[in-house]
Formats: sequence, C-alpha cells, structure tokens
Amino acid sequence: MKNNIKIHRAINDLTQEQLAEIIGVSRQTINSIEKNRYVPSTILALKIAKYFKKYVNEIFELEECD
Amino acid sequence: MKEKYKQSELRLLPRYFNKIGIGIFLIIGLIIALTLVDILKIDPDILLTITKSGILVGLLILAMTKIKTEDELTLRIRLKSLGFAFIFGVGYTIIEPFINLLFQNSFITKRSVSELLITMLLVYFVIFHSMLKKR
Repeated sequence: MKNNIKIHRAINDLTQEQLAEIIGVSRQTINSIEKNRYVPSTILALKIAKYFKKYVNEIFELEECD
Repeated sequence: MKEKYKQSELRLLPRYFNKIGIGIFLIIGLIIALTLVDILKIDPDILLTITKSGILVGLLILAMTKIKTEDELTLRIRLKSLGFAFIFGVGYTIIEPFINLLFQNSFITKRSVSELLITMLLVYFVIFHSMLKKR
C-alpha cells in the first residue's frame, strides 16, 4: 500500500515530528509509514486522513501486489 | 468508570517500573558481592536460586515496561520479538542435546527452565531493541 503523506505534510508545512505529535505516535512510525515499511491500522489511517481533511483513499492507495 | 479494553493495546507497566527492574538487578549484585566477601553467608544453591529468580523477575519487569513512545508500531515490534524469542527457545531446546553431543560427547541437557527463560528474555531484548532502532 502506497501513500502520499509526505506530500500532504509538505503542503501543510509539517515535519514528521509535528505530525507524529498530533496523531499521537512516534516520529519513527510516521517515517516507516511514509517509506512503506509499515502499513498503519485503520484507526491510524483515519486519524491521518482526518487531520489532512481528506478521505482515507486520497492518502492511502492499494498497489497491485496488495 | 471501567476502562474499555482495546484489542490493539497491550497492558504494559508504567515507565517507572524500569527503575524497579534495574533496582532488582542491583540488589542481586549486592547480595552476590556480600556473599563473595563473606559478609553474608548463604548456601551456594540458595544463592543460585535467588540470583536466577531475581534476574528473571528483573528481566520480565523490564520486558513488560512501556518505552518512551508506545504506539501500534512498537506493539507490533514487541509481539514480533516475543514470537522470535519463543521460537528461539523451542529451537534451542531441540538443538541443544545435539550441540552437547558434538562438544561434550553427551546427549543429556542440563539447562534449567529458568536459564532457558532468561535466554529467551535476553533474545527478546536484543531483537526488540535492534528492531526499534531499524524502524
């Protein structure tokens, strides 16, 4: 599953640390999600989407291999 | 109000339990040191039992204590490490007699349960902290 959190972070002028604090996770977790090393839970995906005022599928997208 | 149980959470000990875990190690170290300098007179078998139990309790407390930032990724890492440690323990128990046969010419295993659990907890710590660094 790929995502465009990095782009939305840049649009909102947010660092990983700031987003992590808002969502309530560690900076490393945001980094892992951005690099597609970790697929977040539904709750975390919804929190991220809610913060960016987007639908979840506007931020997260399924890949062929999923 | 009764706290609602969440399936995605582990009930871990608060951060200050780290100090309690380390404190247990210090007490064990102190008991060993006092016994070595003959201030305390404890039977060697009892001392060994106390040491093993103390290390086991200390390690278990440290393993069950929250880290600075606990989230779903750390929970996943924690469970993966526990799984690996468990498989390591089972695998080692199966392989150990063959290692003994190879090096000591004996097929009998003398490792106690507490020694195995200590090894498993140490493996858990190594895996958990290395995975935390790589996350």
